[in-house]
Amino acid sequence: MIASILPSISPGTLLAGGITAAAASLWLLLPRGRSAAADRTARWLGWLLGVVALATFIATGHRLGSVGEEAVFLTVSLVAVISGAATVVSRSPVYAAIWFAMALAGVAGVLLVLGGQFLGVATIVVYAGAILVMFLFVLMLAQPAGLAPYDRVSNEPLLAAVAGAVLLGVLSLSIGRLTAEPPACCMMGGTKAALLAGSSSAAEPTTAAAAGIDMLADNHVARLGGELFGRHLLAVEVAGVLLLVALIGSIAIVSRGAADAEPTVARRVAP
Amino acid sequence: MNLLADVVAPAPLVLNGLVVGAILFALGLVGILARRNLIVMFLCAELMLQGISVSLVSWSRHHGDWGGHVLVIFVLTVAACEAAVALVFVLQAFARTGRLDAAAWQSLRESNLSRTIDRELPAIDTVPPKFPKLTPAGIEPAADEDALLEREHV
Repeated sequence: MIASILPSISPGTLLAGGITAAAASLWLLLPRGRSAAADRTARWLGWLLGVVALATFIATGHRLGSVGEEAVFLTVSLVAVISGAATVVSRSPVYAAIWFAMALAGVAGVLLVLGGQFLGVATIVVYAGAILVMFLFVLMLAQPAGLAPYDRVSNEPLLAAVAGAVLLGVLSLSIGRLTAEPPACCMMGGTKAALLAGSSSAAEPTTAAAAGIDMLADNHVARLGGELFGRHLLAVEVAGVLLLVALIGSIAIVSRGAADAEPTVARRVAP
Repeated sequence: MNLLADVVAPAPLVLNGLVVGAILFALGLVGILARRNLIVMFLCAELMLQGISVSLVSWSRHHGDWGGHVLVIFVLTVAACEAAVALVFVLQAFARTGRLDAAAWQSLRESNLSRTIDRELPAIDTVPPKFPKLTPAGIEPAADEDALLEREHV
């Protein structure tokens, strides 16, 4: 929509500008131990740039068929991305964990829209219900009162933001090439194109339309279970063993570490 | 050359899902590189896993099979194991240093890297939180100290 209003700007340039804005926004938002007033200004600017970046991403995104589907997808993905950004830049780790729960809700919505009904619910139950609560327990055990100095500074915020922007740029480039028409791909040398085709998605059979609709059928969970316990039964058993090993391992580390930690502290204090 | 002609271009929904996954992964990467709190670093790693899950389900939708879904289930399982073991390590690290700081372990760095030295941070205007105050109602009965000590039921 916005791209049609601004016909002079190509989508690629728009996307590059959006990624740059996102990186600058993260750089401004990351904690860097500034004074309170400077921090407030930087945060305000950072969120503004973040809104600009999100608008660019929305403008360069692909239009879905119906308005309703588009609105739902836009809402849940915005919740996921904004909460994810807030997780990364929150000063207090407790707030970061709560923003992460919000991001999980958004991701679960995205998975639901994409047709992963079981996975959307499982994400909420396993992540928000179990893993996040574990994080909060550890925070309650280990978090000092107030804001610790190491929560107010970052390691190389500029380099980190640039690294994220480069990664996002490379990923967007490769996602953008998926939509390219076959003639555009075939303009490169024949051997290179064949190599690319052999190494990437062309090797697998694409049965997009028919099976994709089938995936959203009523017996979704039953069919997923059939696939999981039929073709991937051995992997399920291995995953069960992995869970058991992780359980025993964490208990062993806790009980041995409790005996170990005491003399270490004493030794460190003594000299 | 004709191999590429057979490839069905992904639907718009799949492409948008891939973009959302990429954004989440990049956000997690920035967080894990920049933040110093061990727990926030793990939260950012989990955010990267969420981006991977969204991408996998998008591809599963594109190809119309269950591979991506099954892989996401295993990602969930491994994430649970990883969180359990990693949080135990974080607790041990906290027990040894008293800080949740990644830089507390900088003695493990390469010998040619310089030491991280924290500069003095400007003070933050800490406003003490205002908690609601309950107004006392009625008359406070005289407490019997023996009764308080000998109470049988909680």
